Amino acid sequence: MSVLTAKETQHKIKVAKYLSPRISWLRDYYFKGAERAWNNEFTAWSTGTPWDIQFQELTYYIIPEVYVFLQTMRASYRQAARNVKLHKDFWSWSLPERRAWFVKEVMVSYLPQDMLPGDLLAGGRFNIQTSMCLTRKETEEYDRLTLGKDGARTKMKWFHDHGYGNSGSTSGHLIPGHERALKLGWKGILADLETKRNRLNKSEQNGSAGAQIRAMMTSATMSKELAAKYANLCRGLSAKQSNPTRKEELSQTARNLDRVPWEPARTFWEAVQALWLNHMLVMSDENYPGPGVSFGRIDQYLLPYWEYSLSHGMDREFGKEILKCFWVHCNTAYDAMIRNGNQGITAGFGQLITLSGVGKDGQDMTNDLTYAILEVIDEMTPILEPKPNVRLHRNSPDKLLDKIVDMVSSSQGAPFLLNFDERSMAGMMLEAKKAGITHLVNESNAHDYAPVGCLENTMVGNDRSGTVDNNLNLLKAVELALTGGKDLLPYVNRITGKTEEIGQDGPATGDAATFKTWDEFWNAYEKQTRYIVQKCAETYEFSEALRSKFFTTPYLSCLVKGCAEKGLDITQGGAEISFTTLEAVTYATTVDSLLAIKYLVFDKKACTMAELINALKANWRGHEKLQAIAKNKAPKYGRDDDAADEMAARVMSLWCEETWKHKTASTNRRFRPGMLSWNYWAGDGYVMAASADGRPMGQFLSNAICPSNGADINGPTANANSVGKALGGKATYGNGDWDGYLNMLPNGASHTITFNPSIMCDPEHKEKFKAFLRGYVENGGTALQLNMLDPEMLRDAQKHPQDYRHLLVRITGYNAYFTTVGKELQNEVIKRISHSGM
Amino acid sequence: MSEQEKSNISEGVVLEIQRMSTEDGPGIRTTVFFKGCSLKCSWCHNPESISLHPQLHWIGSRCIGCKTCRDVCPNGALLFTESGVLIDRNMCKGCGTCAEACPSNALELLGKRWTLDSLTAEVVKDRAYFEKSGGGVTVSGGEPTVQAKFVEDFLMRLQKAGIHTALDTCGMCSRDVLDRILFHVDMVLFDIKEIDADKHRQFTGKPNEKILENLVRVSEHMLICSQPDHLWVRTPIIPGATAREDNIRGIGKFIASRLHDTVSRWDLCAFNNLCRDKYVRLGLDWPFKNAELLTKEFMEELAEIARDSVTKPEIVRWSGSTKLDEDKGESRHAMLETSL
Repeated sequence: MSVLTAKETQHKIKVAKYLSPRISWLRDYYFKGAERAWNNEFTAWSTGTPWDIQFQELTYYIIPEVYVFLQTMRASYRQAARNVKLHKDFWSWSLPERRAWFVKEVMVSYLPQDMLPGDLLAGGRFNIQTSMCLTRKETEEYDRLTLGKDGARTKMKWFHDHGYGNSGSTSGHLIPGHERALKLGWKGILADLETKRNRLNKSEQNGSAGAQIRAMMTSATMSKELAAKYANLCRGLSAKQSNPTRKEELSQTARNLDRVPWEPARTFWEAVQALWLNHMLVMSDENYPGPGVSFGRIDQYLLPYWEYSLSHGMDREFGKEILKCFWVHCNTAYDAMIRNGNQGITAGFGQLITLSGVGKDGQDMTNDLTYAILEVIDEMTPILEPKPNVRLHRNSPDKLLDKIVDMVSSSQGAPFLLNFDERSMAGMMLEAKKAGITHLVNESNAHDYAPVGCLENTMVGNDRSGTVDNNLNLLKAVELALTGGKDLLPYVNRITGKTEEIGQDGPATGDAATFKTWDEFWNAYEKQTRYIVQKCAETYEFSEALRSKFFTTPYLSCLVKGCAEKGLDITQGGAEISFTTLEAVTYATTVDSLLAIKYLVFDKKACTMAELINALKANWRGHEKLQAIAKNKAPKYGRDDDAADEMAARVMSLWCEETWKHKTASTNRRFRPGMLSWNYWAGDGYVMAASADGRPMGQFLSNAICPSNGADINGPTANANSVGKALGGKATYGNGDWDGYLNMLPNGASHTITFNPSIMCDPEHKEKFKAFLRGYVENGGTALQLNMLDPEMLRDAQKHPQDYRHLLVRITGYNAYFTTVGKELQNEVIKRISHSGM
Repeated sequence: MSEQEKSNISEGVVLEIQRMSTEDGPGIRTTVFFKGCSLKCSWCHNPESISLHPQLHWIGSRCIGCKTCRDVCPNGALLFTESGVLIDRNMCKGCGTCAEACPSNALELLGKRWTLDSLTAEVVKDRAYFEKSGGGVTVSGGEPTVQAKFVEDFLMRLQKAGIHTALDTCGMCSRDVLDRILFHVDMVLFDIKEIDADKHRQFTGKPNEKILENLVRVSEHMLICSQPDHLWVRTPIIPGATAREDNIRGIGKFIASRLHDTVSRWDLCAFNNLCRDKYVRLGLDWPFKNAELLTKEFMEELAEIARDSVTKPEIVRWSGSTKLDEDKGESRHAMLETSL
């Protein structure tokens, strides 16, 4: 056994390569985790009032695992919080101004500044939990709106407990206007804010818009003051340094900081330094590290600096060295809760970078920096942050595909996600039409889109679309259609053991057992779908209203176009493009369940509706034969079976059209559809009753837009074709939303295909794999995660987790260290069909 | 051919359609495995493909023991024993009633009838991948020429649709059938298993003269009609049978001397044992059940001999599982069994 392990470790696990002593040290140091002397764990800061609150729980409403800890976390941060000496006028300011001042004060005057040995970038600690800066009266209101009978927490708990999913206003998940911040510097941003302030009339100045702009102006000088502190630190370190090379590096770092991020960046080093500080302070401002706070197309907007520095003597390898330091910094986001074990690494982060993709006239935008960054990824892998997403399209160059395929074949899976431009841009165009924002998204700029988090497509620098805020189990509507609007099983509180009485929650669509035709059932399903979408929007409103009132983020608002113009914080719908996204979960399980009901009850008459409902109530116990028929005989989505995929498209179109109809009342954000479904398909499998597709309660639901586990028996091309059809396929007469393509999900959809490593065993097969990707551009979805699995290795990793610490697997678009995911999920990964090319 | 005439000509009996096939010709292909074979190779890896008729098999790991099959079988061909379902091959007519009713797909009918329309519609679904990869559709088997008329019509349809077509053949068919089909294929994958006529008869039940003639015919067709435009020769390397130096040298010599340089690739395909369970499920004995995989060194050596015997050594390739890969191969097989 140990011999096998040794062999596997030697052969299979990718190890970082070509790293300089500097980067090796930084990387190794990072992986020492909690043993490190330095780390970036949360520190908590208080106004010193007895009612103070630090923990902003709304961001955790979409993480069911932490629901039971919400109160504990709130209390713990309060208990650990250190007092900050307040400005004498503090309590006379508006809430946004208090908040802006407080975050800045902590970052500049309280949090220690440190440089790690050899590091080329300043900006160490940034994980903070700051006071919400509320008065006693505000706190009372906040508590009532959070904890009361109609409070946000109460509402979201009900929503989750009853199997609908989860919903909450979450931080991050956007791409700030980094390009503008590098070009103008904060100097320019502040000047712009001043102009905007001066344009306000007297009553606006005294009102919320004035308060918001003043708060943003306070935030706009935060990075300058922090950079000055770091510059001093570097000068001091340089003075003490005896190694002349390092001495000069530290001096140069200090000189960089004298300039950026306040002034426009000139060199590559300055640009990356500025980018890092600008980015990390977003995480400080939001009090939450790295949740989809993404960078956008860095190989495009950093390119002028890269080219400038290369032509002024920067060694290309040194440029990569700067990037590698940036990589290490991004990973320290995880330090926030480093003492929770596993170095605080969870799947819930995602500082995404975007590479390659089309330009204005459909030309490919791959450049030398794209390749340099891919080399950095290749050499640093396995490491989790920042997460790369490579955009492919019809004109992607062979050289790029070669590099991608080489990288995939040498690691345990793609160290990046792939995004597909044509399908994605069709979705952006649809979004513009649906929301009447064609002046903001149109043929001339749709190519500027970029994904956040992992694959959620948004525009850049003016867009917050709440890409993970609503996660709705479509399957709930099937359950409600079977019962006429009631939970199939009563909710049992696991802590108190109390059983709740079943209520008439959804519309009374009648006793399904009396339905004579499939159409009658579909009609009931349609009504219940309308209801669950509406329920989701209603639930979201509670946390959205709360956030917009009590948790503004003025620093982040400076970096997003629309906020200064409207005098509204980004949390108040300030961004020019301000959607919130409804991410459908359980898609394939829903489609397969509908297919099974039609097949079992109406087409083949294998059972009556009443028998089927009884079987589901009994979790299929005593109905194993019927369950087997449902599982094995009923048609399934994901096989390129046109009849089944037509049902899939029908389901898709129904919930999408319903989603577009809703808007938040407090912030006027329209809902838009997507399919991310993070890891809920696993956890909610234990919450949701058995489903008609043969799945018992306690077994996983389907993941994002992927076919149900084990259903994709016709291989990767069939799987991809089904996904493309589900999204809308291509327009019959070429009048698609982008070049003939249709895409009902502007947010995009997570799609994972697991391949056997044999698919890339030699150059000939690599060519075939490249062709598969080009075929996917034509027929597939918006985003693809490639998995390369060797089940033997995974089983061994279960037995010897200590030998597989660096083994990466991909779960619904997220990279995760295999040994850090739960046993059930591990088993799930192992069970997945591995497509052998043989 | 008589079997073919008996069956309905507008329908073909297909064992399996494999999409994203990367091993049956250039690019990404959809391979259609037709049932029925004109040879009976003792090592056959697809014993279920030999008979033209649909055949029943039982996969024990899927069975939930509901006994539905026994109740629905019109011929009383299914017995429940301690070791599972037993198919009485004399009673079973291959009607498929039990497979249709089996809730867990433990009973499967190998071989499904397809109309030209439905089969064509099925294989064109991957056109985008064919176009991007230079791939297409491969007709294989069994031996596709056993269902000559259907296969010819099918290939014609694909040709009309602009899809690249390949014929994967053992070469044992009439010259007339071959001639007709060659007009509708862009390439041919042609098996030469054994150069010695006696040994060929011993291994496959038939002598090889006709096969070799047909191969020459293919190469002449290429020269005269420029159609098909590629010819790949494939040789299964079977331990204790074809895996001999003299055989490889002989085939090499034949390629070099008789085929006018039309062969652009010669694949030596190493024996694998992944079909062992299939034989058990079909109630057949397999003389190679205890045969070991070949070693990588042996295959390298044989490939060297092959290169040595042809005029263009670069056409020679070898593939397949070898002893080093055995553990891995078995585990992959086991996994596919449980998940499919």
